Amino acid sequence: MSLTFSALEGRSRIFLILTAALAVLSLTGLISFMVSYIRGHQVLGTSNIVPWGMPIVITIYLIGLSAGSLILSSLTYVFGKEEYRPISRIAVFLAIVLIFGAMAGIALDLGRPEKSWRLFMFFVLNNMRSMFAINGILYGGYFLIGVIYLGFIFGEKWKWTRVMGLIAIFWAALVHMGTGAIFGFIAARPIFYSPIKPFEFLAAALVSGLALLMIVVWILFRFTKRKWDQEILYALSKLLPPLIVVLFTMVLVDKLTHLYSPHREPTLWLLAGPFSWIFWGLQVGCAYILPFILLVHPRYKKTIQGVMTAACLVVIGIFGERFALVIPGTAYPLAFYPGSIEGIWGAVGSFPLRPMELLMSIGIFALMGLFFLLGLKYLALLPASEQSEQTSAPAEKG
Amino acid sequence: MPRWGMVIDLDKCVGCQACTVACKAENNVPHGSPEEQKLRRDIYWNKVIAVTSGNYPKVNTELIPMPCMHCDQAPCVTVCPAKATYRREDGIIVQDFRRCIGCKYCIVACPYGARSFNSKEQEEKEYHRKDLPPDRSVWGPWPFPTRTHGVVEKCTFCFHRIDQGIKEGKRIGKEVVPACVEDCPANARAFGDLEDTGSEVSQLLASRGWIRLREELGTKCKVYYLPR
Repeated sequence: MSLTFSALEGRSRIFLILTAALAVLSLTGLISFMVSYIRGHQVLGTSNIVPWGMPIVITIYLIGLSAGSLILSSLTYVFGKEEYRPISRIAVFLAIVLIFGAMAGIALDLGRPEKSWRLFMFFVLNNMRSMFAINGILYGGYFLIGVIYLGFIFGEKWKWTRVMGLIAIFWAALVHMGTGAIFGFIAARPIFYSPIKPFEFLAAALVSGLALLMIVVWILFRFTKRKWDQEILYALSKLLPPLIVVLFTMVLVDKLTHLYSPHREPTLWLLAGPFSWIFWGLQVGCAYILPFILLVHPRYKKTIQGVMTAACLVVIGIFGERFALVIPGTAYPLAFYPGSIEGIWGAVGSFPLRPMELLMSIGIFALMGLFFLLGLKYLALLPASEQSEQTSAPAEKG
Repeated sequence: MPRWGMVIDLDKCVGCQACTVACKAENNVPHGSPEEQKLRRDIYWNKVIAVTSGNYPKVNTELIPMPCMHCDQAPCVTVCPAKATYRREDGIIVQDFRRCIGCKYCIVACPYGARSFNSKEQEEKEYHRKDLPPDRSVWGPWPFPTRTHGVVEKCTFCFHRIDQGIKEGKRIGKEVVPACVEDCPANARAFGDLEDTGSEVSQLLASRGWIRLREELGTKCKVYYLPR
């Protein structure tokens, strides 16, 4: 291999300031988590009607980004596409950091986080019919596989890397499909309940993971002033429109089947109710339509601004997609009995965004950003530049 | 082994909410406050919903008391990762607070809204039964004098009464019934063994047509309603 990798020196001012800022934000997140643990979930926006809030939204979002990123790293290590080699280490490391953030997100959402070890007592204390317990196996295994995979890459054991890469692709797909199944198998919630959910999640993972990887790579290479071929970005961006079409089709089919009874009412409410701006604005507009237009536009698809705007829109839009699933999915009142239910039992739930929850959410991202920066400093993730680095890493939050 | 079930006669129910209050008193469920109710954070083990159909002046209101349905195919038992909620041999679905990790997956999965999350440490004045020892070392499902936040709770069919009654050799369903059944002024509720053809519930179910809520989900719940 002619390509050598090196770590950042990480002594420049901007690197130190960024690290410090992220550390402060992580600490704030940790403190707000401790407040929510001591005072209970009353400090969060969740209730008995909307039991899952921002941490769960962020968790499934991060798992998607992670799975997408890990699958993309296989382009080099399994399928032998050498042109992507400069960014493949970053992809694997990013996947590990993101799954770590996702696991932290789950822990923040638990009412009794000190008992989270119970999630990992597979087949002993766990109910293995629960999708959540099955996902425990998937997430734990994913983290291990990611770390071993990165270890083989660092050790330059290419045969083993290839084997591990193959396992990683399948496992990453499984992880995100399992996450979709957590929602898709709940018959009581019409907006969740759909056999296509796991596949929709997988498609969303690929789209968002690809977009995030493009952004991270672009920022990293730009700020560290490395000489590189921007063709990688254009090549990656060519993968995005077909994936968006696949995802869009899945969502379309999902919503279309739900527009027929018995799920008609809640779906209409999602499409036209108080959360519709998230669905239409963020999910459909930001994640599907605008990036698609940008990436097929004859002029914009050839400019770095156009490609990067599309990638940013996708990353923001897929967050909206997660939000538009979790919150409205539970907020719609359950139909206990035919007729209109009076009073609070028939009222739609609301989800106010509380400061603690916001700080906790920012904390998760900051923690991942911190780990990512430290990884850049201590691991050889970036292709070595000709001269020793004078500048260093950028702001990249997970 | 008995299979405990409940029959609620909607013809007799007047919607007085005595069952809700009796349940709160018996199981020491916190009062809740108007603010909490607005935020939907108050804890109910039993609720009475009012369902209207039609438009004024041709309107019909039905009052449906809803305890936990104690489904034979309970979605909450299926989804609980930690076996914190499980089906006892006599068909009662109970919640073990020591195992519950507070992931709230059961609240999402329950089609009857029967589950509540403890979102705060309750103060002493928020309980009915201040006579119960305020001792945190009393672990176990019941009586739990004060609550810890971060776990999910729900109706238990007053299994402490049933277990005590069986131990004392009393007839369950006649002498010993859950608090909501005991307190119903209209005698709208009956409790007993669904397997025993001679029990009051079995006879009621044989005497009239009955419905169960959200039958389409196949939960096979053990709370039956006799329609008006």
